Amino acid sequence: MLAIHNLEVVYNQVVRVLGGVSLRVDAGETVALLGPNGAGKTTLLRALTGLLPIHNGVITKGRLLLEETELARKAPERIVRAGLVQVMEGRRIFTDLSVEDNLRAGAHTRRDGEVRRDLDNYFTLFPRLAERRRQQAGFLSGGEQQMLAIARALMAKPRMLLLDEPSLGLSPLLVAEVGKLIRVIQQQGIAILLVEQNAALALSLAARGYVLEGGKVVIDGPAQTLREDPDVQEFYLGGAGQRRDFRQAKHYRRKRRWLS
Amino acid sequence: MTDLVQLASSGLALGAIYALIALGFVAIYRASKVFNFAHGDLLAFGAFAMVAASGIGLPWPLALLAAMLATGLLAMGVERVILRPLVGRPVFVTVILTIFVGYLIRTAILLIWGSNPRGMPTPWEPTATVEILGAKVLLGSLAALAGAALALIAYFLLMRFAKLGLAMRAASADQESALALGIPVGRTLGLTWLIAGMLAALAGTFLGMFPRQVEVNLAFVALAAFPAVLVGGLESALGAVVAGLLLGLLQVLAQAYVNPLLGHFGHNFHMVFPYIVMIIFLIFRPYGLFGEAEVKRV
Repeated sequence: MLAIHNLEVVYNQVVRVLGGVSLRVDAGETVALLGPNGAGKTTLLRALTGLLPIHNGVITKGRLLLEETELARKAPERIVRAGLVQVMEGRRIFTDLSVEDNLRAGAHTRRDGEVRRDLDNYFTLFPRLAERRRQQAGFLSGGEQQMLAIARALMAKPRMLLLDEPSLGLSPLLVAEVGKLIRVIQQQGIAILLVEQNAALALSLAARGYVLEGGKVVIDGPAQTLREDPDVQEFYLGGAGQRRDFRQAKHYRRKRRWLS
Repeated sequence: MTDLVQLASSGLALGAIYALIALGFVAIYRASKVFNFAHGDLLAFGAFAMVAASGIGLPWPLALLAAMLATGLLAMGVERVILRPLVGRPVFVTVILTIFVGYLIRTAILLIWGSNPRGMPTPWEPTATVEILGAKVLLGSLAALAGAALALIAYFLLMRFAKLGLAMRAASADQESALALGIPVGRTLGLTWLIAGMLAALAGTFLGMFPRQVEVNLAFVALAAFPAVLVGGLESALGAVVAGLLLGLLQVLAQAYVNPLLGHFGHNFHMVFPYIVMIIFLIFRPYGLFGEAEVKRV
């Protein structure tokens, strides 16, 4: 479905954030993308959805293929039309628009006359949003805003969804709620690239995963393997187990591997 | 009573023009947080375009349409060529640049049409009146009111119900988020300027109809609509319209009833009056009549 070959991204003509990242998501598959702050996860998503130019970033190398369509350096609306939609980090709903208008804005690229019906579908799926459909979206709770942000992206009828930190700033109860929603999306056959700090959640939802560090993929494999990987356990699943001697930590070297 | 009707009619006509101007400001401000200081010059350009269009023999409604379109396209061009490359820079830079753009337009007007005042063509006698409640009301006043009302209703319908209006509202709420959903933010910004330019031309046409003549300094009248923008709330289209009507009315009433009370000091006091209202608002209700305190969740 989605194939990234050797992607390199440079900001402000000097800062290289991604240095040769390759990644693949099959049709209908969910893939987790893990990594610490500043690893380049959001940059990868921006490169995919054409949002780099407004951040003064440029794709200097590599290919981005959504099936047969080359996505690199395309305008965002063409990428959305091709079937790839991003839910940005921090929800970024239109706070002063009504809940319903938020959803209708998500359907902007569609030309078919079924927007009305889809709107009703989502309101059945999210009764909390239906209750507030005429209210200003800024008054929704954090969890409801996240649901709205995801539903808004789904209104574009994507074949593939990019989720950037959907659990950010939510209580454990709401995180589980988001997890449930992601499973519903999976059942619709929509492929998902899930960027998460919450590695436990991401690896429980995804079939495969990649770990991005310093702009490179350092580990990748099936979710099961990643869950059992001692490095992933220590750094992403909080499972260091016993206290570590600092002298030991100094000599500790992480396994690094090149994909391409 | 007759006096009051007479004053109210001309006050509302002036207010309707203020509302059109204020709405142009607000449309652009909402879309890009830019306060467009070139708006007055667009208005003057629209008025001259109207004179020119009927000068070549176009019937009045067609000439008005042509003038609106020409001004709208000029505004769209300004946005595309001068302002678009600055997207992402501090808004302050763009705002200062609009002052410069205003001077460019003013110079262009002087180059094309010269500095002589012209008369604004009207399809009726310029002094034709209608009797309402015993008062003689200028036909031009009624036309201004009706024209402004039509334009304002069209604008609100577009923003509320059309797909384009929704895209404009979304883009003004969060540009990057709108881009991510496939809304072509640049194009909606251009169309916002087109609409603002058309509103400016309409306002310029009606403004030129009253004894005031069409000349470059028509641009300064846009500044008189400035209090309406602030009193209404910079972000509120409805506020701009209500405040525009209100201030037009207040200004005319102040001219008739307050100026004489102030003796020599009262000469032209009505011109200052809207600003006094504005200052009172800035002190007690700085976000305006309908301006909303921002919704924020942390």
